[in-house]
Amino acid sequence: MRSETGFDPYLYQRFPTQEERPPEEEEGLRRIWCAPKGWEYLTVVNNNYVGIFYLGTAFLFFLLAGVLALLMRVQLAAPLMEVLPQATYNQVFTMHGTVMMFLFAVPMVEAAGVLLLPQMLAARDLPFPRLSAYAFWAYAVGGLAFFASLFVGLAPDGGWFMYPPYTSKAYSPGINADFWLLGIGFIEISAIAGAIEIIVGVLRTRAPGMSLDKMPIFAWAMLVFAVMIIIAFPSVILATLLLEIERAFNWSFFDAARGGDPVLWQHLFWFFGHPEVYIIFLPAAGMMSMIIPTVARTELVGYRLIVLAMIATGFISFGVWAHHMFTVGLPPMTTGFFSAASMAVSLPAGIQVFSWIATLAIGRPRFNAPGLFVLGSIVIFVTGGLTGVMVALVPFDWQAHDTYFIVAHLHYVLIGGMVFPLFAAMYYWIPMVSSRAMSERLAKWVFGLMFTGMNVAFMPMHLAGLMGMPRRVYTYLPGSGWDMLNLISTVGAFLFAFGVLLFLIDLARNFRMAPGGGNAGNVYGAGSLEWLPTELYSTRSIPVVKSREPLWDDPKISDDVEQGRYFLPRSATGLRETIVTSPLLAEPQYVQIMPGPSVWPLVAAIFTAFFFLALTVQAYMFGLASGVITVMAMLRWLSETDRPIAQDEVDIGAGIMVPTYMTGPRSHGWWAMVILMIVMAMISAMAMFGLAFLWSNQPGFWTPPASLGGGIPIALGYGLVVAAAVSCRWLHRMGKNWAVAPVLLAGLAAPLLTWLDIRMWSAVLAPDASGQGAAVFAILSLQGTVAAIGVLFAAYLGWRSLRGLITPTGNSTLDLACLFIGYCGAQGLVGTIFTRAVGA
Amino acid sequence: MKSWLILLGGFIVWTVHFFGLYLIAEFAPSATLVIALTILCIIADLWLLRWLRAMACSEAFAQWRRSVGMAGAVLSLLAVLWQGLPVMLA
Ligand code: HEM
Ligand SMILES: [Cu+2]
Repeated sequence: MRSETGFDPYLYQRFPTQEERPPEEEEGLRRIWCAPKGWEYLTVVNNNYVGIFYLGTAFLFFLLAGVLALLMRVQLAAPLMEVLPQATYNQVFTMHGTVMMFLFAVPMVEAAGVLLLPQMLAARDLPFPRLSAYAFWAYAVGGLAFFASLFVGLAPDGGWFMYPPYTSKAYSPGINADFWLLGIGFIEISAIAGAIEIIVGVLRTRAPGMSLDKMPIFAWAMLVFAVMIIIAFPSVILATLLLEIERAFNWSFFDAARGGDPVLWQHLFWFFGHPEVYIIFLPAAGMMSMIIPTVARTELVGYRLIVLAMIATGFISFGVWAHHMFTVGLPPMTTGFFSAASMAVSLPAGIQVFSWIATLAIGRPRFNAPGLFVLGSIVIFVTGGLTGVMVALVPFDWQAHDTYFIVAHLHYVLIGGMVFPLFAAMYYWIPMVSSRAMSERLAKWVFGLMFTGMNVAFMPMHLAGLMGMPRRVYTYLPGSGWDMLNLISTVGAFLFAFGVLLFLIDLARNFRMAPGGGNAGNVYGAGSLEWLPTELYSTRSIPVVKSREPLWDDPKISDDVEQGRYFLPRSATGLRETIVTSPLLAEPQYVQIMPGPSVWPLVAAIFTAFFFLALTVQAYMFGLASGVITVMAMLRWLSETDRPIAQDEVDIGAGIMVPTYMTGPRSHGWWAMVILMIVMAMISAMAMFGLAFLWSNQPGFWTPPASLGGGIPIALGYGLVVAAAVSCRWLHRMGKNWAVAPVLLAGLAAPLLTWLDIRMWSAVLAPDASGQGAAVFAILSLQGTVAAIGVLFAAYLGWRSLRGLITPTGNSTLDLACLFIGYCGAQGLVGTIFTRAVGA
Repeated sequence: MKSWLILLGGFIVWTVHFFGLYLIAEFAPSATLVIALTILCIIADLWLLRWLRAMACSEAFAQWRRSVGMAGAVLSLLAVLWQGLPVMLA
């Protein structure tokens, strides 16, 4: 394959250009990408700032959850301690686990992506800066509110996987569980927003010439990570939604006495929960694969194998969820192959570990701060991996399940697989964003304390577990032989905490934020693009990438980039912009105009958080008002985008001309919408799985569904909605401006169809009658929600076309509305038939 | 599209296999179905391998793409066999 888009690769040979660049170009860039002042920090969307805010907030949650861990360890230091009463202990371990997993681990790596990816790919920013800002604020406001529930004693206490029936209204009557369900459901939305940003960013904004085989490993890791979020998180969003509905309206999804099934929760949760572990691990592994070659001063061994291993991890991690359910009583056939798959999943992780060891072995490794943490990570992670293979063996798991052996295992994997790589990464990349590097001398202490502390804290837990100590107990009796082990664990936890404290002190002394110029720079001598000299606009010009370590292979590249001898040495349109490239070979396709700072993402995020909080405390009017404000803020923010641009084509350097606007399947907006549709389709597929699952497990509660004959007209109606959406795009491209009308009508008709369907089902079944009723009406409600959003889309499209903002060439909004409304019809069509088919 | 199919082909077969196995066990437990699905997936992987081996590649990217695809197909072949084993042995 010589060219993907028809772009002639010979054009790359015009770079680096030779002529002098006029000095006002750089000034222009600086003015357009200017730094915020005062209150403007709240409205920034530039990834340099949002990334650092994001990282800082996630790290704050690490510290908060860490304090909770210390509290638990104090309570468990000796038998019958009275530091935390039982009920508080339950809240504390639940919050510790939940905050670590949802508010620290995932956001932390997502934030690292937001900060690092544009630099590594030499883009000016990620393609949807306002979406990043929204994701960050939603997470920060929502997360802090969620954490605060602990101070009023209302924190969730059902463990980080919140199994019903324990978390059902009957056994958890307070609003504690609602905090979890709504809080986490909401934070996952922010994670998905970030994932969309990352996928489109990695596939479409790489520097020209950076074909997939030259992409930095971290970008590969983030790509797989984000795709996994898109597939996995809908499942937990749906699960939390269903459990919340069960609690609020008494629909019995999980109540076995009424035709629901608590095991359904476990399937939905772990279909997300296991991939979650790899979602956390992969980006950290990507960081390791970036740091190790630099530390070892040689190329990474087995780049291709690592890419393969990452993709393999992504796929197989979706096929092992039931290994968390070996003690539930699954059918033997299921148990057999989930056990086999769980052993297989250690292979790709093994490949990566061997590549790292090989790289360290053939290079000339330096044991500086990142080097030490990388090494520590390998040791700890491998230990955790070994106990992982042990618990993949079903008979062993029957013994170890719900004991401290599991607590030991999961912390070895998480701390070795994520926390240590993260610390390596912080030491490694802080010089990129701070004017001073961290102290190497102190780092030795930080590492020593953390490494020793980790092992002293968690090694004895294996033993305590094997000796029968269950997890999630607030105390234990003397004389069970666990006293000494627990005391040692507590000492270890404090050693670890001292390490982190030292790190904080170092951070306070040396971290001086310098997101634009003036950072400490490439102190470790790395070879990838994020170490090019940057300012707030990222690199002065965007280089042509010819190898995986451009800085090692072309010693002049930094200077050439800095002098503007590559792509886009100026702002071609006078606005914020970056080059959008093709997904495989990264050939330049067009210039994307990026939105600037705005207060609307912040407003939308705050009111989204209020909306969910209001639902939790049952302040429905306030919730409604917040919801309306959120929608208005989002529409306002959207209305500023997709505007006509004066020049149709611009010179992006060396006389290469590209368009400034793109619609249809090649545009970045289209890609984001398609990903959003995948998210919605996953939610809907999971809901349908739920219905089928209940049918096969609770056949006694099944009533004959609404008649298929009655459903066919509705299905046909949905079919027409799809047809209208498809033909509208097509007609509009042929210059028919009236073609907007049918899709507007279709958007308005979809909710009517849903309403008809609901009426028809109401005659047969009530939502609170049985598991079947609950599941059917859940599918209908989801359809109603999608249809309602479709109406918003239609209204927005109508408004824009009245204002004359939809033209035969400037029709991105039309495309996106057609996509969405078409999707809405398709989902309705499938749902109408499916609900009637199950158990007919 | 073709590139993604080459890069991910083996993995897609693998995915079809393990979700298939789960659905069979959950909704219609039967060893015959499992074995049939396993054989189908093995054939698919072998076909993929043959297709990729015969593919002519001169450019660096095409070569890279093919080698990742072949390794993925081999991995998938092993995984499909491995995950079919519990049922085939029982
Ligand atoms: C030195 C640091 C840490 C210490 C001392 C610590 C301590 C503990 C303890 C004692 C428990 C068991 C509570 C019980 O079963 O009664 C626990 C549970 C847990 N921890 Fe940690 N932890 C640490 C770091 C982490 C990190 C970094 C993560 C994740 C990234 C994490 C995730 C979890 C999870 C998911 C649980 C299970 C919660 C549940 O049972 O619902 N921990 N931790
Ligand atoms: Cu798992």
